[in-house]
Amino acid sequence: MERRNFIKISALTGVAATLDACRAPDKQLIRFIPEENLIPGIAVWKPSICTLCSAGCGLQVRVMQGDAEVERHGERGLIKMGLAKRLEGSPQNPINAGKLCARGQAGLQVLYHPDRITKPIKRSGARGSGQFQAISWDDALKELTSHLTALQASRSANALAFLARPLRGQRRELIEKFLTAFGAPPAVWYEPFDEAVLRQANLLSFGHAALPTLDLARADYVISFGADFLGTWNSPVAQSIGYGAMRRGRPGRRGKFVQVESRMSQTGANADEWIACKPGTEGVLALGIAHVILSQKLAPQSIASPAASRAGSQIAGWSAGLPEFTPEAVEKQTGVSAAVMTRLAHEMTLSGAAAAIVGGAPLAQTNGLFSALAVNALESLVDANRDEGPILGFTPEPPLSNAGEPAAPAQASFARLNSFAQSVLSGKAGTPQMLMLYDANPIFSAPPATKIREAIARIPTIVSLGSFIDETSAQADLILPDNAPLESWLDSVPESGSFQSLIGLAPPAVSPLHETRPMPDVLLGVAQHLGGDLAKALPYATFDAMLKAALLPLRAQGGSVAAKTDDDFWQSVQTQGGWWSAPAAAGWKSAAAKPAAMPQGKQASHALTAPEFAGSATDFPFYFQPYLTPSFGDGSTAHLPWMQELPDALTTAMWSSWVEIHPKTGAMLGIQQGDLVEIASQAGSLRVPAVLSPGIAPDLLAMPVGQGHENFGRFASGHGANPLSILAPVVEPSTGSLAWAATRVKLARVGGPEQAKLVLFAGGMSGFPHDEKPR
Amino acid sequence: MAHKWGLVVDLDRCTGCEACVVACHAENNVPTVGKDQAAIGRAMQWIRVERSWEGDFPNPKVRFQPVLCQQCDAAPCEAVCPTYASYHTEEGLNGQAYNRCIGTRFCANACPYTVRSFNFFNPSWQKPLNLQLNPDVSVRSVGIMEKCTFCVQRIKSAEIQAEAEKRDLKDGELTTACAQSCASKALVFGDLNDPNSEVSRLASSNRAAKLMGELGTKPNVTYLDRGAWQDAKNS
Amino acid sequence: MQKTVEQIEQDLQRPTGRTQRAAERIEQDLLRPIFTTSGKYKVAVAVSGLLVLAGVAAFGYQLYTGIGVWGINSPVFWAFDITNFVFWIGISHAGTLISAILRLCNATWRRPVTRCAEAITVFSIVIGGLIPLCHIGRPWLGYWLIPYPNQRGIWPNFRSPLLWDFFAILTYLTGSTTFLYLPTIPDFAAIRDASTGFRKKICRILSLGWQGTPRQWQRLEIAMHIMAIAIVPVAVSVHTIVSWDFSMTLVPMWHSTIFGPYFVTGAIFSGIAALILAMALLRHFLHLEQYLTPLHFNNLGKLLLTMSLLWFYFTFCERLTTWYGNTPDEMAVFWQSIRLHFAPLFWTMVICNLIIPVPILSMKRFRTITGTAIASSTIIVGMWIERFLIIVPALDHKFLPFSWGVYRPTWVEDTLMASSFGMMALLYLLFSKAVPMISIWEMKVGLQPHGGGIITTAPAIAEPHGLVLEGPLPTDVPE
Repeated sequence: MERRNFIKISALTGVAATLDACRAPDKQLIRFIPEENLIPGIAVWKPSICTLCSAGCGLQVRVMQGDAEVERHGERGLIKMGLAKRLEGSPQNPINAGKLCARGQAGLQVLYHPDRITKPIKRSGARGSGQFQAISWDDALKELTSHLTALQASRSANALAFLARPLRGQRRELIEKFLTAFGAPPAVWYEPFDEAVLRQANLLSFGHAALPTLDLARADYVISFGADFLGTWNSPVAQSIGYGAMRRGRPGRRGKFVQVESRMSQTGANADEWIACKPGTEGVLALGIAHVILSQKLAPQSIASPAASRAGSQIAGWSAGLPEFTPEAVEKQTGVSAAVMTRLAHEMTLSGAAAAIVGGAPLAQTNGLFSALAVNALESLVDANRDEGPILGFTPEPPLSNAGEPAAPAQASFARLNSFAQSVLSGKAGTPQMLMLYDANPIFSAPPATKIREAIARIPTIVSLGSFIDETSAQADLILPDNAPLESWLDSVPESGSFQSLIGLAPPAVSPLHETRPMPDVLLGVAQHLGGDLAKALPYATFDAMLKAALLPLRAQGGSVAAKTDDDFWQSVQTQGGWWSAPAAAGWKSAAAKPAAMPQGKQASHALTAPEFAGSATDFPFYFQPYLTPSFGDGSTAHLPWMQELPDALTTAMWSSWVEIHPKTGAMLGIQQGDLVEIASQAGSLRVPAVLSPGIAPDLLAMPVGQGHENFGRFASGHGANPLSILAPVVEPSTGSLAWAATRVKLARVGGPEQAKLVLFAGGMSGFPHDEKPR
Repeated sequence: MAHKWGLVVDLDRCTGCEACVVACHAENNVPTVGKDQAAIGRAMQWIRVERSWEGDFPNPKVRFQPVLCQQCDAAPCEAVCPTYASYHTEEGLNGQAYNRCIGTRFCANACPYTVRSFNFFNPSWQKPLNLQLNPDVSVRSVGIMEKCTFCVQRIKSAEIQAEAEKRDLKDGELTTACAQSCASKALVFGDLNDPNSEVSRLASSNRAAKLMGELGTKPNVTYLDRGAWQDAKNS
Repeated sequence: MQKTVEQIEQDLQRPTGRTQRAAERIEQDLLRPIFTTSGKYKVAVAVSGLLVLAGVAAFGYQLYTGIGVWGINSPVFWAFDITNFVFWIGISHAGTLISAILRLCNATWRRPVTRCAEAITVFSIVIGGLIPLCHIGRPWLGYWLIPYPNQRGIWPNFRSPLLWDFFAILTYLTGSTTFLYLPTIPDFAAIRDASTGFRKKICRILSLGWQGTPRQWQRLEIAMHIMAIAIVPVAVSVHTIVSWDFSMTLVPMWHSTIFGPYFVTGAIFSGIAALILAMALLRHFLHLEQYLTPLHFNNLGKLLLTMSLLWFYFTFCERLTTWYGNTPDEMAVFWQSIRLHFAPLFWTMVICNLIIPVPILSMKRFRTITGTAIASSTIIVGMWIERFLIIVPALDHKFLPFSWGVYRPTWVEDTLMASSFGMMALLYLLFSKAVPMISIWEMKVGLQPHGGGIITTAPAIAEPHGLVLEGPLPTDVPE
């Protein structure tokens, strides 16, 4: 080989190798950001707040330095940064005291989800086709502001709609201020399983339009009417902590727990006594027990207490001793024997601190408010007039003007969404022309009767500020992806779960992994850009400035943070993960003992109404009860692989959805474990595998919510069916809340296990080997 | 004095919430296997919450029972491993040396509790899910048996810290990921050699029992019976 | 030396009466398959070779993707793999053990049987020994089982039955190979003398300079005797140790003291069945009708009948004690195999191992070549099922019901299993091309009715004292 050729070849090889190295991301280092407080291999725990449900648990995030493969300005490369490795409960936080539920821990996978939207994207194909193209943040913001200015210019600012999951705290404040200053109508806050009925009932019975806080650690006796308080209802971590203490936290004293429901929930599975009650008659049962207490004068002091009179006054016939609700009469309606009722009444009044709570399916009937008021009346009867205060109380409002519970419960989610959809579909003047979406997925989670899919399709411009493509945001024209919660400034104002007033606050635990921007900063930036009222209403450059301004008044309140200067206070709040009052300073006693004044015009007492169902009992012989699972909630965490592979507590199903059927019903219809069945209601039908379960009434079918996503990333799409899609639009009349347990269905076998593809973790539904008998 | 690590599971406190399961996945880099693999019985869980039914509607009874490696003193898994991948550590743990495992799966068959998980394939964490991996715990490749280690990385780190500070470990100073996450405090971890530790106190309760104790495996996990409501005043 | 051999050949070719002609005929008949290759043989090699290749491909796929391409799962961590392992190690008890016992008992009818039996042993151990290597999660580390000083600083765990297996199988393989090889030496010498070229070179090496001197005969006799005595306890121990893979654990229905003798019995049972089947095939395809006679099948058939009854006795004992003991964990497995999921397999096994063979084998009328071959075929199937039923139901219903599972094999396991049969066939076919499937010299020894040198002029086949016994004669040798 000639020397010249050799040099040529060497040069070429060298260039090729260099070019190749540039392409391979593992070999390329874009930049190196040493975080000052991170030493390689040493973990740092940073505070944050869990956003996967509304309980508002405090987090501590284990952050370690690591190499992340990321994309910046169109180039892929490695970046050295702090990475979140574990989520644990924050030990100081009064709600969760260091504990965290399964779903909360999976929040890590929200951050690292492979289907997260990593940069702004714009629709490039037909709407809903899923074709998007990446654009720069400058272009994306320009496009967003141009849409908004166009609305302003055409004097149709009221044609802007904002659809979001109900938020509390400064994010809600920000959106509300933004919309008000822009001239748009209030945001459509939507979640499928809102608690409007319970808030309304609590307002009437106790004077608090909020979810209750339970001091279970002190309880000797708890009767729960449908409330899945250890799984999905209210503040499950706080309640689980209390439950553990109630069971075995006091030597020699073990609280008894009775669950009333028609399908055994994970919570019900822990009950000492499980009482099956016909759907919609839970309130009747509560009044039957109350009747025994009143007629036998089992709790003479409580009966006369102001709390009991107040809650009791909501029920017609209370002062007369509930003559219609004799145990025998109640037995006929509920299917629970009079003897059991009498025994429960005696046990409750004899066993120290007792409480009655209500939640879940009983409230999702057409008579939900009555049931809730009935249980609340029973609760006041057994839980009032105790020196240490009642088991059931309310979290005090934080001493801030713009946080905490509203004076009156807001309109029910379902009613809001329904009227929004109606107004879009009506096509009248002033109908929404532009929709901003944030973390709400009504196309998946609203019954089809709302026609929300059609309504959203009609809106000319849709901008999503969420992190994922789901059924609703797939319709968007422009997506400006939000940071993951762990990458964001977070605040929370928990509605319940603590007897201290409480505001959670945390700075970002880690730097953004992708080219995303926090939703609040985007809105603030847009407000500044648009100027005028908006800029005046939201005079902050970034969200943390807004949070700081909102929280600084708390310094004067003392509480958990003692600081001399505002800056000190602000630093301490960040390291602690929030501010909370000292337990004694604003304890639950004062809050619970002072019921708010009775709202005007609400004195009318409620009489029993029978539950009504969509569909006749002859055509649709089964009650149908969708239920929430700890893994998926309303379906918004179905995209997390840890949640998909977490076995359901009772059926042990994973990666599937299923319908629970009593073995007798199964035998009657020729349905065996794992068969494919079709469930049909007036509103639609779906196909799903059958699970035969002894813990369900033979005339009831129950199905978990959360699966059946069509378009929610690689881990959620295509598994199972969505029970919300066959719900009839029945509402609880006094609140307009969706009565999601008031649809009747029919059932038929349509296929075998091969078609159904049910995945169960357990070997079978069998008992202990000692019970195993050959068939 | 050497430590002897033990765990107490109070079945009366356990609510079946499975926070421990996710905590374990996160702490120990336990992979998720996906629907198809889960369907043929290959889901991997170092701790699982067993559920058993008794009775029928309207009086069904359910029991939840977390089952994890019992860290037996007379462990059937250890003797059968031809390569000493399963071995007994000085602190009484059933160790599992992943890089020594050749995958005979004999230990998993020998284990009466079926708490060992096998890597039928190389685990996959689709990027960037790989960033969630705990750097303190090695990721296991195809053909390797894995199991609960009582979070040995946490134990070691606490022991090293205590040694550096020239002091003894305090009770409650370290705990496993599952016990850390357990809201109802059904799981309590500690040193059984310390008679004053919470775990020692609970393990000597009259509700205490070993899972399949009749097999003579001498587990270091103790279960506290749920007991009936009426009997509760005795414990 | 060369000259002497030629001399012997010349001597052999000289007709010296009926015995001598018979000896020539024996040599002709038994060497023929080595020197002539039929079309059927080629087809058989191609088919079995393809099966082996399919197995290699399946194993390659398994290595590349992971052992998850099998159907095993949690809790059924062993299934087809160990079933086949136990099955093939069981089959291996056909040859060496039977041959050794027959030799020790001076059973004269054994002469045409021993070689083909011993070959089955060697090959099925090889196959059985390969299976554990394929079945481990990381086959490339299989050598970690071997105890030798290494830089890993780790000695294998001698408490593990798997290590006992390793040694037992290695010992048995070594012993059986020696046991097969020793009596083949004079035959290698015969081939060496009858062939040319490459084959001659190979056989020269393999015949270890065999000249047939009385001293050599004497040493062969002593070596065979020692081996025959030594191999019997080894064979018994091998399958006992294989059974300990199971009975040393606490698994319900595995943890049983009966497993040692039960496994040995099952092994001999399936081994004899395999031998009868192999003999029937050899007889047909190699035209050995005059050597493998109904007498052999009749005698082996009686042995098979005994083993069938013995197998049933052990199965009955095992099941009865379990049922009578009635411990819940064992009963879960017990009912699974007898009445629930595995009942069809269980009763197929009983039919194959007992209901069909016993009537056939107990009546002289049916104890023919066809009859014993049919019985043997069902027994092979039945004994495979037996191993499967020992392993799988116990695992998938082990203790805690929550972790019970279901096992379904995949195509990879099916292929590997088919491949193991292909490998057996291939090795056997190739062996029949290298070595006479019936020992020539032993047949010749059998020609001499009352001891002494059988063929007077040939020192090479001078019969050592004591090995001279009654034997069958080719029937159509002319006077």
